[in-house]
Amino acid sequence: MSEPGDFRDQVRTWCREHVPAGWREAQTGVGEDGFVAFQQAWFRELRDAGWAVPHWPAEWGGGMPVAEQVVLYQELAAHDAPRLVLAFVSIHHAAATLLGAGTDEQRRRHLPAILDGEIWCQGFSEPEAGSDLASLRTTARREGDRYVVNGQKLWASGARHADRCLLLARTDPSAPKHKGISYFLLDMRSPGLDVRPIRNAIGDSHFCEVFLDDVEIPATDLIGPENDGWRIAQKTLSAERGLTMLELAERLAGGFRWLLDDCARPGAGGARPIDDPVVRDRLAAFETELTGVRALCRDLVERSEAGRAGPADASIVKLAYSELLQRLTGFAADVGGLDAHARAARPLSSGWESGAWVVDYVGSWEWTIPGGSSEIQRTIIGERGLGLPREPSVP
Amino acid sequence: MNTDLAPEAVEYGLTARRAIEAAGGDELAQAAERESDRRVGDKVLDDLGAWDLDPRGSADELEAAAALCRAAGWWALPHPVAERLARPRDLDADALVVVAAPGPAGAVDGVDLRWVAVDLDGRRSRATPRPADDPVRTSGFVAALDIAPVDDAGAGDLALGLVLPCWTLLGMLDRAMGLTSAYVQQRHQFGQPLSSFQGVQFQLTDAEVERVGLEELARYALWSLEAGRPDAIEDALALRLAAIEAADVVFRITHQLHGAIGFCDETTLSWLSRASQPLRRLPLGLSATRAALTARLGRQGLAGLFGP
Repeated sequence: MSEPGDFRDQVRTWCREHVPAGWREAQTGVGEDGFVAFQQAWFRELRDAGWAVPHWPAEWGGGMPVAEQVVLYQELAAHDAPRLVLAFVSIHHAAATLLGAGTDEQRRRHLPAILDGEIWCQGFSEPEAGSDLASLRTTARREGDRYVVNGQKLWASGARHADRCLLLARTDPSAPKHKGISYFLLDMRSPGLDVRPIRNAIGDSHFCEVFLDDVEIPATDLIGPENDGWRIAQKTLSAERGLTMLELAERLAGGFRWLLDDCARPGAGGARPIDDPVVRDRLAAFETELTGVRALCRDLVERSEAGRAGPADASIVKLAYSELLQRLTGFAADVGGLDAHARAARPLSSGWESGAWVVDYVGSWEWTIPGGSSEIQRTIIGERGLGLPREPSVP
Repeated sequence: MNTDLAPEAVEYGLTARRAIEAAGGDELAQAAERESDRRVGDKVLDDLGAWDLDPRGSADELEAAAALCRAAGWWALPHPVAERLARPRDLDADALVVVAAPGPAGAVDGVDLRWVAVDLDGRRSRATPRPADDPVRTSGFVAALDIAPVDDAGAGDLALGLVLPCWTLLGMLDRAMGLTSAYVQQRHQFGQPLSSFQGVQFQLTDAEVERVGLEELARYALWSLEAGRPDAIEDALALRLAAIEAADVVFRITHQLHGAIGFCDETTLSWLSRASQPLRRLPLGLSATRAALTARLGRQGLAGLFGP
């Protein structure tokens, strides 16, 4: 891939002028309101520069060549810019759904709104439908020009701040489980919705439960044909890969540089971890592996762009990244010793490797679960990548 | 050599586990965090006669103490049971904590006790917890200690102070396995229990192999202590190393098999795994424990089960 050198200089200059100084300190221990306001302000900065949605088609405000998108994400990571955490589902999953399956009217209604700050969350998983998403039980019953929805959604990250939700619900209970699901653009202000945060092991409450009690959705907010939701959801989920993984891998490379800095500072006993041969050995191994994951991501982006991505490529990238993230943050927590354990808060708006290594490590564990657990990824790699037979199911 | 616990000790451990359950079970850890107070569950320990046990007095009492620690671990009982059972008898003290330089620290907060610290060279000190700033949610009752040296006579305390907390950790791993085994059998996806997938079974068996290996070593180190063997400290360090490694594997796998719910306050596994952290990190984490053991062993190695 050629290097758009001028563009890289342009991004570097912009980052030096626009990345807010001291944002990490300001976002450490900040409340929900402070987090949301900061995310919205940073989104506007990027949008005004034309860089909030570079992967969208030009007519909707994107149109950046892939080679430049790669540079953009590399430089944002290298300059330690805040991540677009709050808008993540909006600019990736919601946009991919609207662009892939929406009507012109739906695109016109929501894509500009997303650029104006409309926040989306995802209502896919349910208590009994995690890895086996297609067994979801939330129902949507057609009544005239609207659907009436009942059920419960789980792990809807950021649902408390969301204006809209990508909702999967069963519209034909008698059809085979993949065939009776429809996809809706749910207005989160609808009556009958109850959003409850769930506190996780690191004290965050970004996960939410969403209870839907006779919630009415206008038929105009059905996306794609009725009962075709599963196929559309596959498209939505695949938007999580490619460039989003490339961004995360570049962030991890940035985090690794902080780890090197940490290791070069004397620890509580006066010795520098980096002078320990075992530490050096591990760091060198991580550097090698990190280079591999970055290359995998870049390769996936290029092959996706060229329409040459294999059926298991995205699974390989997710598996490699998530397990590397866990091992790297775990090593950082170990090497940081008690000092690292005293840092119990990480800045919001940062990546998964904020430098508060113990919190990062605990947080990293969730990475092998959502968006297809490692077990699901391995199954995809085995069956679709290697062409192995399916595991026999229990009779 | 017989590393099996005496039947009375095993029975005492089971009684303790049931008694702690009757006193609140899992709720005790949650109440301790809510109230920043580890004395919850105090009464049940009194009723069990915990503080009448003298693990230094006889093999039977040592084994009963180990079984009690394991039962406390099962419930992530917030009270520092192992530390109190290991208290030195020749000093006026309530509890013993093993510390390492620099920055001695331990899970000593949230309970008002007279602490004695012993380091890996057998130096004993009076230890006073410094007030902790962090909420219990993140501190796990860990606090830094101010140290006032007493003597160098702590070699006998050290092995006991290392071994008993490993029995607590073993109890936590027992529980994590039990919870996960039940969960994967009860949770259905793709029309069948998770436990019917071989990929799930193999992960759980890997974790069980670690847990069983730790149990064997825990019994061996206890026997080494009972028998007054010269390398009881090395055996205790080897046990600690195995305990940290086993805890890493067991919690890693049990979390993965629980899925996202395993990270939420709604599940016991999340509480258990957070409560295990101080035990796994203090006085020394994985690498430092390995380094300490290696430095002590030199080229001599461990006598082991079948040594002279």
